[in-house]
Amino acid sequence: MSEKNFIIAGFGGQGVLLAGEVLANACMIKGLNVTWYPSYGAEMRGGTVNCEIVTSETEVSSVNKKDADFIVALNQASFDKFISKIKKGGWMIANSSLVNAIKPRADINYLFAPVTKLAEQVGNIKMTNILALGLVAKVSKIVSIENLTEALDTVIPPHRKNLLPLNLKALKIGYEYDLLTV
Amino acid sequence: MVECLTNKKVLTKGNYAIAQAAINAGVECYFGYPITPQSEIGEFMSGKMQELKRAYVSAESELAAINMAIGACSTGAKAMTSSSSCAVALMQEGLSYATSDQLPIVLISVMRGGPGLGNIYPSQGDYFQATKGGGNGDYKLIVLAPSTVQECVDLTYKAFYLAHKYRNPTVLLADGLLGQMMEPVTFGEYPYPEIDNSDWALTGAKGRDGRVIRSYAPLAENQCVFLNKLFEKYKKIEENETEWEEIGTDDADIILVSFGSTSRNVKTAVKQCREQGLKVGFFRPITLYPFPNKRLYELSQKTKKFLCVEVNMGQMINDVKLAINGNAKVELLNRPVGAPPNVDEIVEKTMRF
Amino acid sequence: MATQVFKIADSFRKDVKYSFCPGCDHGVAIRLVAEVLDELGLREKTILAASIGCSVTAYDFLNVDSIEAPHGRALAEATGVKRARPDKFVFTYQGDGDFASIGLAESMHAALRGENLSAICINNTTYGMTGGQLGPTTLLGQVTTTSPTGRNIEYYGYPIKIAEHIALCDGTAFSARVSLDTIANIRKAKQAIKKAFEVQIKGLGFGFVEILSTCPTNWKMTPQQAHERVRNEMMPIFKPGIYKDVTAES
Repeated sequence: MSEKNFIIAGFGGQGVLLAGEVLANACMIKGLNVTWYPSYGAEMRGGTVNCEIVTSETEVSSVNKKDADFIVALNQASFDKFISKIKKGGWMIANSSLVNAIKPRADINYLFAPVTKLAEQVGNIKMTNILALGLVAKVSKIVSIENLTEALDTVIPPHRKNLLPLNLKALKIGYEYDLLTV
Repeated sequence: MVECLTNKKVLTKGNYAIAQAAINAGVECYFGYPITPQSEIGEFMSGKMQELKRAYVSAESELAAINMAIGACSTGAKAMTSSSSCAVALMQEGLSYATSDQLPIVLISVMRGGPGLGNIYPSQGDYFQATKGGGNGDYKLIVLAPSTVQECVDLTYKAFYLAHKYRNPTVLLADGLLGQMMEPVTFGEYPYPEIDNSDWALTGAKGRDGRVIRSYAPLAENQCVFLNKLFEKYKKIEENETEWEEIGTDDADIILVSFGSTSRNVKTAVKQCREQGLKVGFFRPITLYPFPNKRLYELSQKTKKFLCVEVNMGQMINDVKLAINGNAKVELLNRPVGAPPNVDEIVEKTMRF
Repeated sequence: MATQVFKIADSFRKDVKYSFCPGCDHGVAIRLVAEVLDELGLREKTILAASIGCSVTAYDFLNVDSIEAPHGRALAEATGVKRARPDKFVFTYQGDGDFASIGLAESMHAALRGENLSAICINNTTYGMTGGQLGPTTLLGQVTTTSPTGRNIEYYGYPIKIAEHIALCDGTAFSARVSLDTIANIRKAKQAIKKAFEVQIKGLGFGFVEILSTCPTNWKMTPQQAHERVRNEMMPIFKPGIYKDVTAES
């Protein structure tokens, strides 16, 4: 596998950085090299947050790449900001609960899923980020659901472990989301 | 945070990796003042040091922090501080004193944009600040430049060792990119021997006359003797501790020179050039002082083009030029601040050069 | 048989050349410090953070382990020493410029944190070593090389009353101002130094003594005139006394 990179973006509070951390851990657990890098400082003003995950079987060169293989947009601002950064043949995974399902580019793949709505159905809107990771795993085929499960267990701190079952449920619903319904 | 004394791989931020490595290295005292992008170090230390019953002080300023570190080091303790750019500027006086006092301070400097307040984005604009110093007088700081989070761990260990081995302040020169990024690391155990300091540390003058750790030398002759001795030490450091990484330099028509996080894109660009059949080499100084002058000079006997890639207006390039001493053509590819030049840009510039 | 009436303290170095100006009170102050170190049995567990100014040479006289701090940073360095080695006795010996001008932040914060440290500050209303410039304690009207017509409020503002300010800090266990102008006052000064050292030993917090002192050379006075100035001009403004003593309160 050559180097692949993901950008996960949304507004503050959607758990964007945490989702990235879980994905990066899953890559590590799978035995890949990986780098996670957050947006920070003034870049975060206006409410959008993003992080980039680069993974590779060989040494990871760097972050802050000019384009990405997979972009997860949890809100409209992130969709608009990153749509042009997707590599030809890459994927836009968008939260259709908050993003208009239009396709401005013909040279990329789209997955529109009502992530927020699905998270509400799981029982907690805060599961939006983890549910989206399920979609990412399905589409990217880089990490398995088992890798992500183990990663969640690593990242969720001991005093929050009671939330693990709900997270796993969200992950599963994301992973099993029927891509054909797009 | 993480399991730190095992060989288990954990995903962690550069700043946390540095802090945990310092703990593993046996740091007894941490003194600091917050500044982005390295505040996680102080935050981590505030909890961990208290938990371990080691010393932690939220200093009133960076001036105080570096001097608290001097005080702690004067007793032979392992002490550190951490800061960034415009605040490391405030520490220059203390660093000059610490070289003269010959005290093993470890300073973690996580670079951000400058001059002045600048911004909090990654930068390599403090290469001069670290290697040439802003303090007064003739002195050198040992400067180590990590390029990955794993090296943040390894070189933090090394910083404590070298500082104590040579009784000289040592800087780990990272940047906002490394401080904020997460990568898998293994900590292992602190791999270096402990250095005996019983012949100089202040312990209370039990059964002996009082020792004085001082830099004041009222007589000119005394200062001459001292400086000559100090520079004999630096010569030893240069002979023993110069460290660098090089790939494909043997047959290279052009060598790309870069340090720290920027070197990662450069390394990838070099690989891509090689895949296209271009004879391109990669050279990364790991110790910025001592700088690998000798090796660069040797390489310049055969290779006639050097391209320096930096995230500043061109600082390390000056040392490369001095090392090469006119033997080869040296050019710069830079970004003033922020993300390093990307791989395509580096490949393209290399091809044009 | 002869009776010994005076003994040089063990905490005083042997064979050192006296380097202060004639009539300067540094010599007396350092002797008192040495005597108190002896009396409390502290010499072999003491670490001194010396400062910059005439006070820097304290380590030439006191036979204790010492570190020389940059100007104003003595209490930061002392903090580092004490935090690293809490079992040691740690004190600073500073001038008023070092303590209350360039080092005011370090001084106040050491007191505010309640560091178990002792600090001695020599107040002679001028920068002595650099030749008698205006400092933080220069009195209103006082002529110095940088206040040629005397300290006026318009250009220079007010002098600082150090002992009173340090007494206001919650972490301070003892704060006093003393004078060395008479034998009786020298005795009181020694008592105050002892108290400032004892609060550290008991772990009660920051101990501080401001010592009013002469600078005959820069004041352009004889030693006797200089002590008269301490009495007549300084003491009415910088009133000697104990401003805080937690051992008395309890």
